[in-house]
Amino acid sequence: MASQRRKRGENLFVRYLILGAWALFCLMPVLWFLSIGLRPRVEIITPQPIYWPTFSLDAWHMIWEDWPMAKYLRNSILAIFGSVLIDLVLGIPAAYSLARYEYRGRDDIAFYILSTRMMAPAIVAIPIFFLFRNAGLLDTIWALMLIYAAINLSFVTWIIRSYMLDIPKELEDAARTDGASDMRILWEIIIPAILPGIITASVIAMIFAINEFLFTLLIASTPNAYTMSVALANFTGGSDGVIYNAIALVAFLAFVPVFLVVVAIQKHLSRGLTMGAVKGG
Amino acid sequence: MSNPSLPDAGATAVAPAMATQRPRPRRRNKRLKAWFPYLLVAPAVIYLFLITLYPGVYAIIQSFHAVKFGPWQPVGFANYVKLFNDHQFWGALWNTFVIGSISLTLQCLIALTLAFYAYRDPWVQGWRIIFLVPMLFMPSAVAFIFKLAFLDARVVSDLLIRIGLIDGNLAIQSSIWMSRGLLIIADVWQWTPFLFIIFVAALQGQDEEVEEAARLDGASWAAIFWNISLPLMKPVIAVALILRGIDITTMFTNVFIITKGGPAFGTETISYFIYRTGFKFFNFGYASAASVVMLIITIIIAQLVVKRAFVSVRT
Repeated sequence: MASQRRKRGENLFVRYLILGAWALFCLMPVLWFLSIGLRPRVEIITPQPIYWPTFSLDAWHMIWEDWPMAKYLRNSILAIFGSVLIDLVLGIPAAYSLARYEYRGRDDIAFYILSTRMMAPAIVAIPIFFLFRNAGLLDTIWALMLIYAAINLSFVTWIIRSYMLDIPKELEDAARTDGASDMRILWEIIIPAILPGIITASVIAMIFAINEFLFTLLIASTPNAYTMSVALANFTGGSDGVIYNAIALVAFLAFVPVFLVVVAIQKHLSRGLTMGAVKGG
Repeated sequence: MSNPSLPDAGATAVAPAMATQRPRPRRRNKRLKAWFPYLLVAPAVIYLFLITLYPGVYAIIQSFHAVKFGPWQPVGFANYVKLFNDHQFWGALWNTFVIGSISLTLQCLIALTLAFYAYRDPWVQGWRIIFLVPMLFMPSAVAFIFKLAFLDARVVSDLLIRIGLIDGNLAIQSSIWMSRGLLIIADVWQWTPFLFIIFVAALQGQDEEVEEAARLDGASWAAIFWNISLPLMKPVIAVALILRGIDITTMFTNVFIITKGGPAFGTETISYFIYRTGFKFFNFGYASAASVVMLIITIIIAQLVVKRAFVSVRT
């Protein structure tokens, strides 16, 4: 039976050829990242590309000693964690409302929240630039925090709503007959039950916030509020040209923690990425 | 909330005759109850209004003015008239469409193929972790690394010469199609995993018994995939493509870093067009007119496509 199945099944050679080829294509630029980050600057742009560079920690010293990379890192972390916190504070009650109550306009509200995800950053960039300028928030981490929170709020709300819909209503009804208030039920029953969903939503919001580029570029116009992502783009300035080894090394250092966190939640990733639309995997 | 109900509870306990007093507080409670879900959702909605509705209205008003430095001058529809005669604007729309549709099609086909081969594989977890890697690098850094590999250090040209595919260095920067290709390759590399992860999850979530039954009837894996799995996956594919499509049509980072819209505006996307007119030439009124046009397109697509896709996948 087993051999018959294999014969009728697809060709394993083709399967591993295709998967292997894509894996190679995925990982080659990553090796290239590392090799750029760990070579001296003179070996980056040469008449003939150098495939076996001399090992060097030039970039490492440069980012910590010549640049306030620690400050950019701090800016990134503050803006990102702050924004995720705002999203959870606003998103959890909203998700609970959309998941648990029947009321007029509910589906329209849910769709409105979803549709903000479709707003191109470029459309709202100009008004938001002036909004923050008039509020005196330009060039501050606060502005970044608020904008990241806005970008991710739709995602966070929809993901959390999807997890809430999975909780059997009987669980709540039992608590309600015991006299618990709605807020207590949310706090003591729902939130613990959907913790994986909250973590997934937070991680995805974090990734989008790290990646955000256009707003950060406009809002953070001096090193005062630079985050890692935009600081990288500004390694190109000056008479030095683009400092590629520093860019590559910073990107790699930022990649490692994100990778570890994502591997930890990978079971929930597909559900998070589709805002809760896909549950499998 | 508990204060007004307290004396009432006491009263009913003492004398059932006073039960006529009961309805009043309860009605107040009921009214609060009816508003409670709105209260819960309101903060999020107000926050999003501030960040979408306010800018939307602002952009519409600004689009009817000439705004450079100093006060706004009302100009009626002049910005729009100019916009519809601006071949760079139409070019940007066209570039966004061409680059986006090619990139999205490639990503979808590759992700489906990979998902088809991976989801029954014993090492599916491992494949997923490997394929996930590109997605987790900062897009701005990825853009620089692709710029370095293709343009500044010419590594890709060098490798192709070594293999013997080409004779001299590729002149990517002077060719519109090669520059577009470069943007597409960078996007495909980084974001195919997004679709792959979703498709694998969808395939794994499907009923194995249906597949088993078809297997016992002698159907090949390809036939099962084509006739059973793929039709079942349609709603999921729609949602995934919409989410990816939104990000592709707003492509900015790679254009900003790799091509700057060149050569000859051949890779200028609509986002980059707005950025350039607004923040490079400080022609904010004009840029706002372009934003409004893009906003209208977005709303139409949202109402026609997105609503349906997200509703169908939930039910």
